[in-house]
Amino acid sequence: MSLQSSHGGVANSLSREETQATGDNRRSPRLSAWLREVVTQALPAVIGLSVAFAAWQAWVELKDIKPYLVPSPSSVAERLYQDPWMFTVEGFKTLEGALLGFLLGAGVAILLASLMSQARFLERSIFPLAILVKVTPIVAIAPLLTIWFGFGLMPKVFIAALIVFFPIMVNALIGFRSVNPTSLALLESLSASRAEVFWRLRLPSALPYLFAAFRFSVPLSVIGAVVAEWFSGDRGLGSVIYIANNNLDMRTAFAGVFMLAILGVGLFLLTAVLERRVLFWHESNWAD
Amino acid sequence: MSNDAHIVIEGVDMVYEAGQRPLRVLAGIDFSVARGEFVSIIGPSGCGKTTLLRIISGLQEATAGRVLIGGSPPREAQRQKQIGFVFQDPSLLPWRSVIENVRLPLQVNRRSRTARNEALEARGQRERDPEGLISLVGLQAFGRYYPHQLSGGMQQRVALARSFVTSPSVLLMDEPFGALDEITRSAMRFELMRVWRSEAATADCTVIFVTHSIAEAVLLSDRVIVMSPQPGRIAASLDIDLPRPRGEEIEETQPFIDYTRRLRGLLREHALV
Repeated sequence: MSLQSSHGGVANSLSREETQATGDNRRSPRLSAWLREVVTQALPAVIGLSVAFAAWQAWVELKDIKPYLVPSPSSVAERLYQDPWMFTVEGFKTLEGALLGFLLGAGVAILLASLMSQARFLERSIFPLAILVKVTPIVAIAPLLTIWFGFGLMPKVFIAALIVFFPIMVNALIGFRSVNPTSLALLESLSASRAEVFWRLRLPSALPYLFAAFRFSVPLSVIGAVVAEWFSGDRGLGSVIYIANNNLDMRTAFAGVFMLAILGVGLFLLTAVLERRVLFWHESNWAD
Repeated sequence: MSNDAHIVIEGVDMVYEAGQRPLRVLAGIDFSVARGEFVSIIGPSGCGKTTLLRIISGLQEATAGRVLIGGSPPREAQRQKQIGFVFQDPSLLPWRSVIENVRLPLQVNRRSRTARNEALEARGQRERDPEGLISLVGLQAFGRYYPHQLSGGMQQRVALARSFVTSPSVLLMDEPFGALDEITRSAMRFELMRVWRSEAATADCTVIFVTHSIAEAVLLSDRVIVMSPQPGRIAASLDIDLPRPRGEEIEETQPFIDYTRRLRGLLREHALV
């Protein structure tokens, strides 16, 4: 009796919520919710950025700063407007190197972490190597990579991969180990194989840790690609900035930096959206 | 009973080599459970109940002694998915919906599937339909929900449905209702008996149920085994001869109250250190 009523009560409240979310007049509440989201999330950021740019513009004009030291935001915007195609194409070159590098670095990191999660012996043999990779300054190997791989895409991919490798590997390893012990016991009581335990339990359990690593290693991969372009690139925003710097063309250099910032923010948002999609079941995404 | 013993536990010892002196957790555990019998194990915290259950299920090896399920070692029963396990933590996979969670035991370890299906057929059984089991535990409207959208009691009901999906011949339950509130817990006891009896009609499912609750043990069991701690051993055993099906009203009857009193006496005598 008590069971029926308590159970029925939950059912009713849940189904009521559901009809609210998917009912007849779904468009207007969704749209207004979306608008509210945009206003509450984006408006403060827009205000903050506008104030910063206005202050910068005022400072440059009032103090009469030389354009070859610091250009005004309006002159940078003008430079972007003159040559939008060039900046976009070079942006995509950088993006290409960063993303391919990210995929390579993340792939190797996750593979090694999955191996290490299977045996302490593998962890003890692989981890010191990973630390060696981690502590070597990327800037020190970058010229070397040019000698090995020449100019173009490969050094970018390699450096971006190197830079994202360690944080992803460490998080993946912690993730693969952070499984609910009773879930593990359940699978073992069903004679699940090691591979099944990995695919059905360890990998999904590691996803929150992996996404935490992706959040900051995706922008890192852009840094890696730019560093590579700085040393060995003939294309990409890194080369654009490098050449502009050498010519004291600060407007072009700043325009390149601005494009890089856009790229970083875009990738960060993309990761966040993907995370919400994939980790809908995780505590971190139970908004309200 | 010994002729028809389904689960046989013989001289099981468990010693942990921890620190300077070895810690003896279980000492000379001997008992057998008949096919289709519902046995509860009751005792204070730290008397090795959970360890014993893990040894019976094959999750852990005993230091000495042996366990046989239907004449075979527990690992073999595992391979044939004859063991259903319900833990205190419902331990549903949060990224799987209710129906996908119930389906999980059917999806893992498919290699031994043919052998298992033959074994099931020999007992005149087959795998359960996950949808049907969800209905059986009253969650038919929630198949597509995710665990975080359900209450603790509902999650434990999903775990119950999941444990039945392979038509196990043995159901091991480790304080399955221990984390629930008293009202839900009481409801879940009757829920369990209902599901178990609906299974038992075709399946003769043997249950070993670990609990802290005297009323729970008396209400559910055919027999209650009392364990005493340090090291864990069997102190007493009490047959519960109450008619089935048992409804809520049975808790008011004199025989039930007498059994409760006797069990409390046994616990006071053996289980307090």
